[in-house]
Amino acid sequence: MTEVSAGTAQRLLFLHDADVVDGQVGALAELATMIDVEVPRHPGFGSADDELAEEWDSVADLAQHYLHALDRDGRTGQIHLAGAGFGAWIALEMAVRAPRRWATLVLVAPYGVKLFGPTDREFADILLLDPSEVVELGWADPAACRELRMPGFPPGLEDPEYERAFADREALARFAWKPFMHDPRLRRWLHVVDVATLVVSGDRDRLVTPEHSRALAELLPRARYVEIPGAGHYPYLERPGEFVEAVAHFVGADRKTGAST
Amino acid sequence: MKCFHFTEMPYPYVPAEAEDEHRGLKYFMPNRYYDPARGYELYQRYLDEYELADELGFDLMVNEHHQSASTLHVSATLSAASVLSRTRRGRVLVLGTPLPHRESPVRVAEEIAYLDAISAGRINCGFVRGVQGETYPSNQNPVHNMDMFFEAHDLIKEAWTRHDVFSWEGRFYHYRYVSVWPRPYQQPHPPIWVSGTTRKLVEWTARHGYTLCNLLGTYEDTAKSFRLYRRTAMEAGLGEPSPDKLAYLAFCHVAPTEEQARQSGEKLMWYLKQGRLRLGAISPPGYSSTAAAVAALRGKLGEVRKYSFERLVDEGIMLVGTPDTVTKQIQRLYDETGVGNLILMNQAGEMTSNEVRDSLSLFSREVLPAVAPIGRQWRDDDTTWRVDSDSRPVESVLASALS
Repeated sequence: MTEVSAGTAQRLLFLHDADVVDGQVGALAELATMIDVEVPRHPGFGSADDELAEEWDSVADLAQHYLHALDRDGRTGQIHLAGAGFGAWIALEMAVRAPRRWATLVLVAPYGVKLFGPTDREFADILLLDPSEVVELGWADPAACRELRMPGFPPGLEDPEYERAFADREALARFAWKPFMHDPRLRRWLHVVDVATLVVSGDRDRLVTPEHSRALAELLPRARYVEIPGAGHYPYLERPGEFVEAVAHFVGADRKTGAST
Repeated sequence: MKCFHFTEMPYPYVPAEAEDEHRGLKYFMPNRYYDPARGYELYQRYLDEYELADELGFDLMVNEHHQSASTLHVSATLSAASVLSRTRRGRVLVLGTPLPHRESPVRVAEEIAYLDAISAGRINCGFVRGVQGETYPSNQNPVHNMDMFFEAHDLIKEAWTRHDVFSWEGRFYHYRYVSVWPRPYQQPHPPIWVSGTTRKLVEWTARHGYTLCNLLGTYEDTAKSFRLYRRTAMEAGLGEPSPDKLAYLAFCHVAPTEEQARQSGEKLMWYLKQGRLRLGAISPPGYSSTAAAVAALRGKLGEVRKYSFERLVDEGIMLVGTPDTVTKQIQRLYDETGVGNLILMNQAGEMTSNEVRDSLSLFSREVLPAVAPIGRQWRDDDTTWRVDSDSRPVESVLASALS
């Protein structure tokens, strides 16, 4: 049995990772057949709010933005909150600010919390590494890589596509340059996240290692840790079937289709 | 024409395999390849060359880079202090302090004021953004590089000219009590120099009446950049800038014969060796516009690295030859761009101290006196770059500075 706390919530807000293309990519499309899945584009990453975000400089700004947007739209009921990588960091920042709002929390290989010593490089330097290196570290099978956009990757695109990718990297740097891909203030509030939480990691993720995700799960009061074999940093892209199975079950979406456990 | 002697103080002993493994000599080079004893000898040698250059009538320039075997200057102000204590006459151009990479602009204001105070005003104060790769050693956010540069400058200038205790709560810098001691010897402050090619920066430099320096640009790019400077200065009501407001950095070597000059001069190309820096270091996120970033991606940045020796000479980047040849090259540089200050990179890589000393001495005997009068009567000169005779449109240039 899972720890689903509010199986009645019918909406999942999925916050995207850096370098991933817009929309219901990979496993998200299938999840969307079971539950309403919303994948907003982060301000700064090619959204209507890009201009607004030019003055922002922290992931806390993004969390504040999304929390405010839910209020503004009158969506006060509980929803499922999910995020991957950079998006999982935003989700965590939202969770510590408003823990009661979430039916469940799904975090895929989250950035955002530094756990080990100062000379332990816990997050690969995705703002420096070449795309080929990001793919090498981020995929169990680099040849299967898809749905990613980085400066110059995939090759053969027109200038505007790469300009967009550079602009995304600029936004990421704005939010996460220093301290790199984490906020020391976040760790001290993890204990308030009294929400049924699923931490998902690909067993071959070398951008954010499984060890890191597992240790983070141990700091969250009600978290369960799941490792997806044969996946890197993007299990929802690389192993969509396994990802759907784990997440749909956890958020109780499979009940909607009758696939009850 | 004023001439500055400059060496980056390279450490030329890194094995080729290590250079290859670490994608060049800069920013990510493990310091196990630095030998303290050889390093000491290099420092003494380079400082000796500054001392000789001063005696021979050159002005002097120092800079800084970080975590790099291509430069052992780690702080332009520290290097300036060393050079000042070894010399008596020449001006010491600090070009420059990379403002966005320094944690404290107030500290920069103090250090420059100190240098100026102990030398009775021998300092020219250069401020730079820091080349792209410097982003990684300092870990300052490249997105804010330009805005930090401007705010740090405003704060430093306030610290030199306010003459009272003030507070600064800006976007990037926060101080409750600022009043820098000493004040600079030159009042209100030392001459300010800025290097760069980004349009916004060139216009800002022109509007402030500061000296603009172009590093290793082709004749054509340098002329374009200076044209933008002159037009902006005119529009700002500052009048037509004199050549003294413009500077250019070139490689330089003179010898009694063309063959000898070329033989040694080719060693200067060490500085242009193509590293294999990652795109993220060549074009850090947000450091430049996305269009410029795509140009970097397409390999259009740092094209000068691919030039042959002949092309470098033709473009005015390499001033190499007999004294007569180099005098003509400098005259051409003035004729095409209207530059009034020349920074000469007289040493690079494995060039020996004897080669540098011979070139400095010969340059001082035969070229310095010949080029000294160039630009003094600039209003009488028949040139293409005077504002009244130059109707060419203003164009931007891609960064020529090398990351």
